[in-house]
Amino acid sequence: MKHRIAHIVLLLMVVGKLTAQITISGIVSDGRESLAGVNVFIVGTIDGCLTDSLGRFLFTTTQTGEVTLKASSIGFEDFIQTEDVNQLHDLTILMKERATTIDEVVVTASSFSFGKSDNFKTMDALDIVMAGNSCGDIVAALQTLPGTQMVGENGKLYVRGGESDECQTFVNGMHVLVPYSTQTENSAVRGRFSPFLFKGINFSLGGYSGEYGQALSSVLPMETTDAATSDKFGVSASLVDWNVGGTKAYHNSSLSFNAALTSMGLYDKLFAERFDFSRPYRKLSGETQYKKEFSASNVLKSYVGYDLTSVGQRIEGRCLSLKEHNVYANVTHRAAMGQGYTFFTGIANSSVFCDVDDARMAGDHYHNFRNEIHLKAEVRKICSEVLKMSAGVEDYIRNSSLRYDTYRYQLDYNILAAHVDAQWRVIPQVFLNMSARAEKFRMRNSGMVESDWQIMPRATLSYIPNKHLQLSLVTGRYSQTASDDYLAQSRNLLGQSIADHAILSMQYKSQSTFLRIEPYWKKYRRLPLLENGLYQPHGYGTSKGVDIFVEDHSIIKNLTTTLSYSYNDSERLYLDYTEVRTLDYASRHNLRLTAKYAVGKFVVGLADSYASGRRFPTGQTPHYHSVDVNLTYLLSPKVIVYSSLNNIFGRTNIFRYNANGSPVVPSRDRFLYIGIFVSLKNNKAYDISNF
Amino acid sequence: MTSQTFKNRMLAVALFVTASVCGHAQQFSMQALIEQSLSKIQQPTPEALLNCVAELKRIEVMFPDSIQPKHQVALQSLVFSVTNPHAPQTENLLAEAQQTIMKMEQMKNADQSDLCTLRGFLYMVRIVQNPAQNGRRYYLEVMQNYEKALKLNPENQLAKQLQQKFFEGMKQQTESRTSATDQ
Repeated sequence: MKHRIAHIVLLLMVVGKLTAQITISGIVSDGRESLAGVNVFIVGTIDGCLTDSLGRFLFTTTQTGEVTLKASSIGFEDFIQTEDVNQLHDLTILMKERATTIDEVVVTASSFSFGKSDNFKTMDALDIVMAGNSCGDIVAALQTLPGTQMVGENGKLYVRGGESDECQTFVNGMHVLVPYSTQTENSAVRGRFSPFLFKGINFSLGGYSGEYGQALSSVLPMETTDAATSDKFGVSASLVDWNVGGTKAYHNSSLSFNAALTSMGLYDKLFAERFDFSRPYRKLSGETQYKKEFSASNVLKSYVGYDLTSVGQRIEGRCLSLKEHNVYANVTHRAAMGQGYTFFTGIANSSVFCDVDDARMAGDHYHNFRNEIHLKAEVRKICSEVLKMSAGVEDYIRNSSLRYDTYRYQLDYNILAAHVDAQWRVIPQVFLNMSARAEKFRMRNSGMVESDWQIMPRATLSYIPNKHLQLSLVTGRYSQTASDDYLAQSRNLLGQSIADHAILSMQYKSQSTFLRIEPYWKKYRRLPLLENGLYQPHGYGTSKGVDIFVEDHSIIKNLTTTLSYSYNDSERLYLDYTEVRTLDYASRHNLRLTAKYAVGKFVVGLADSYASGRRFPTGQTPHYHSVDVNLTYLLSPKVIVYSSLNNIFGRTNIFRYNANGSPVVPSRDRFLYIGIFVSLKNNKAYDISNF
Repeated sequence: MTSQTFKNRMLAVALFVTASVCGHAQQFSMQALIEQSLSKIQQPTPEALLNCVAELKRIEVMFPDSIQPKHQVALQSLVFSVTNPHAPQTENLLAEAQQTIMKMEQMKNADQSDLCTLRGFLYMVRIVQNPAQNGRRYYLEVMQNYEKALKLNPENQLAKQLQQKFFEGMKQQTESRTSATDQ
């Protein structure tokens, strides 16, 4: 009897429990349309459900009294309502779009990122290698982007009407004094870094933040890859270069080495050329890297690279002989310290020794030594969802000497700089990045001391209504010391040159198309100008234009096409100019069309480059035109074959005119490159380099 | 006085024991809730997986300082994405998985081996979504993350299985490409 009573009581309790279930129902929308897949639930329980395709939800709960209902979906602010559970039926929930936090926003105005962008890669080292006519050179690959000028006689980066040395390179945040390999006059140089060294390359064409200085036009910061997780060993070979390297991976660190020999000897024998080389171009390079990850957010990276370049060329009765030693080393440490703080410290040293015999006339000798020590410390702090700040100090300590017959100079100077940056979400969708950089230039020359202060405000205002659209207005002031040759001939009067940038950036990105239009305007002041045999800071100039870039993946599957067009109108009075005139390296119109198609194990690339003629006092060059093709074949997961042919139609492009009116043309019209990359100790494909 | 000290100590011990028991009880209930959620995807239909992820997110809200619900949210989101790479919900789930991994990275007691596994899995899903374009692009990230996961914890079964699956998938992909080229 007792048992029966107990069972009845239990049954009543269960029934009571069941009847106590409350049904919660309603509909979720964003005010325009209903939202499917929204997680609606009672906080502190697992009672809830997902909305259906019409935004409806319905679930039961055993909770009683006052409860908190929450609706959450990515891209929207959480909806929270605290109410008596009996009132939670036939609800209409309106969800607001979530504003991007300051840590999530990536303002991409006036810059191109290769590597990780929006947390996923847009372009990587292999993309650079396979870019139209790059032959694996970062600098050449970047020249397919808008804003860059085609200056074939030296191959360096010229950005938006700026000189090549107005673009500065940084590795892991540290400055590289000479980022190019050397060459004789009128021969194209290459960047000295392999694209496979880097996991991220961020090319800014102007308007960059306060972290970067000593660059009037643009900066190229590159971030080396993380510590390797497995051992590697690989070789590569082509008609012009041979490479061997490997990596030893330890528990939380890795040690890598790489050695390369570049020689044009074999190529020169196989293919005729216009220049008369007495000794073929040769470059012997060695690099080593050590990386240690104390933890995921505490990383030490070091890099040491050495290049020895030599070449001999017979020019107008003399036998020019060039030899250059270029050493670059850096050590950086980045550590997250908790509470949103990240500390960065780094030191870098660049040393370049250059000797040239028969430099200008038979029997002369030119010697140049340049050295730079770059010290940097920076702290970053994510203060809140709407504010991120950083501040840092750095010092560039430079010295150089030059001897050319009786002419010689010795320079010692340093540039001490400090910067503060603040990224602030003013209101949802509107972001303001304000920074200020102060620089003190101090030089000792012939017993006299020259000192110069600059304070440079910079600001970027961005409107980012959604993930497809970005509108930015960028403005800022930038400075750079004149090159050592001009400083030495300035009698302590030159100081720093100044450039003011104003850029309007509009970009649209969809699943398959990217469009960017950027009009810009730059004003230069205090440029070196030769007056009475001395360089004075009286030069000035302007550069204005518009860059257009379109990338599309929608025409057919596996086909990527790009169009980049630049219009530039720049003029200056500087150096030995006697009047304001158009810069001789600046062509008004630059157009590049590229296509890349992947089929099976092949990737085929095609590039068409056009640049309008360049103006010289002695005349205007004909337009530049080159069609380049390349083919990559994945022979096996460990072997990649790459080939490219530049200027397939063999057009003889005239780059410029000498003072005597003779045209400067490339050493050869076409260039063929065939290379093979082999991984010998690795189970990975596409891992063709040794780092 | 001695008696008072003794009482205080006993009180402290009692409080400690109570707190520990409550902690264990909480852990137990969290574990039970997670297991209950996961038991619903023995037949992993897309709908069941989506409901499971939603339920795990509710558990995550209940235990905001715990790693395990976050790990399961990310993992099950990726499981849905890899089995339904082109479903309308996949992009959102991938974004949420990525956010969850980033949250876990900020937590002091996060297991680095698990984090590497999830990162590798995330890139693997990207490859499954578009093998032709993303295979070459994310291949190394997947490999390196699984390698690192196993280096940190050689007994990480999930990393082992995913790495194995990845090898098989890439092999099939390469073979199918070869046969397509040969034809």
